[in-house]
Amino acid sequence: MPILSPAPARIDADLYADLIDPARLATYPRESRSYIRIDISLRAYWHTLFDTCPLLLDLSGPDGASIFHPFMAWARQEKLSFDWTYFLWVYQWLAQSEFRDRLSEELLLSMMTASAARWLGYDRNVDDLGVVIGTPLIDGVVVGWKMDSVYCGLNQVERLEFEEPLPAPDGLFGYFFTPSLRLGHFPGWRPIPR
Amino acid sequence: MLIGFNFTLNATLDMVQRMIKARQIDYCELLIDNFLHVPPKELETTLDCPIAFHIMFSKFLESDDEVLGKLAKRIRILIDALNPIYVSDHLLRFTHEGRCFYNLGEIDYETQFDAVRRRVEKWQDLLGRRLYLENFPSIMEGGWDAPAFYRRLSKETGAGVLFDASNAVCAKHNCGAPLDLWNDIVETTQHFHVAGYAQSFSAPHVIVDAHDREMAPDTIEFLSSMRSSFDKPGATITYERDINIDYDSIAVDLQRLREIFPHTQELEHADLVACAS
Repeated sequence: MPILSPAPARIDADLYADLIDPARLATYPRESRSYIRIDISLRAYWHTLFDTCPLLLDLSGPDGASIFHPFMAWARQEKLSFDWTYFLWVYQWLAQSEFRDRLSEELLLSMMTASAARWLGYDRNVDDLGVVIGTPLIDGVVVGWKMDSVYCGLNQVERLEFEEPLPAPDGLFGYFFTPSLRLGHFPGWRPIPR
Repeated sequence: MLIGFNFTLNATLDMVQRMIKARQIDYCELLIDNFLHVPPKELETTLDCPIAFHIMFSKFLESDDEVLGKLAKRIRILIDALNPIYVSDHLLRFTHEGRCFYNLGEIDYETQFDAVRRRVEKWQDLLGRRLYLENFPSIMEGGWDAPAFYRRLSKETGAGVLFDASNAVCAKHNCGAPLDLWNDIVETTQHFHVAGYAQSFSAPHVIVDAHDREMAPDTIEFLSSMRSSFDKPGATITYERDINIDYDSIAVDLQRLREIFPHTQELEHADLVACAS
């Protein structure tokens, strides 16, 4: 197999700014490693979103384009970090998009669950053992727990409802971290970080 | 050569225990940052074999010092309790201007040496152990600069290289960087990784480190042709599979590795650690 030219970039660092920006892909020659490198990067965002929350494809159609491209452009404008809150911001975007009247509770729960799962999979702050995500749209909260035993079940994210409900967060979502693997204290909702 | 398997999530526990029992693997490499809150005693009793630590998301090149310090303190407890054969991490970019990469970035070997050296020294110091740092499956031209960078970094910080053989094969395919550039590192380092790679979705010319299938023939050829350079006292090779986790398929690759690196005399854990250090 011939080796594709890397041009117009040379090394990975030359492409950092474009690895999260679908609009930039078309500015690179199709038969270049730069193009392929950015394409590989963008697919990671696509698959993270749609493989985890396939219900989104019922809204967008099978290529996801009508959600993915406008969301990514909006995310760039809003300077979103794409940390564990990725799914919550996608939902936030959906809620003000052409899809806003087609959002089900099932979809909402899947997006909250995906965010909690991403947090517990990628967060390495050893002070925080759980994340609690709330919304005024449903009763109860979604909680993600970091693994404390190799024998724990795969279901480390759960929906909890309380006899005495927590107050609703001010925005569409709120969250807080817990320092232990139990919910004994409500410190108040924090706004979702960008 | 000791042959190991990567244990990244508890979902594969039954399979890993089966491999240990059947002596298909000699040790287990824990993706330790997924097990930070598991009691060390439980890890020790669950995995009845020597273990190694692989760190994925320390983000030590970018992380806030306070967060990194706390993470190191926790990992040190696990190191003290479990005495791993080695402790390894990655040289990677996780973010750019505050935005997270989902397909992680290769560092700039030309301009970042001093900054990387300082962070490696700091991270190694915090962990209290020699770090082994994994090479990247380059797509761009960085693949050419990586071997000299790792060589110099090793010389100036004492950190070792966790040489990923299939990552080097990826770089050879993608940017043409010859495997020979790594020869002296293969000769001197003790710890290796290997996995299957895949063609990228939109261009078969470009391959990615997929960990989703059996090893490619050229990876097997690379290991075989340099068998005596890879194999040495205390050497380890971890077979990685993170997707399409199928016991029979993994067993085939483990057997291939065993054929390339015939079974060495069994060592006690203490002997392994002595070799690795």
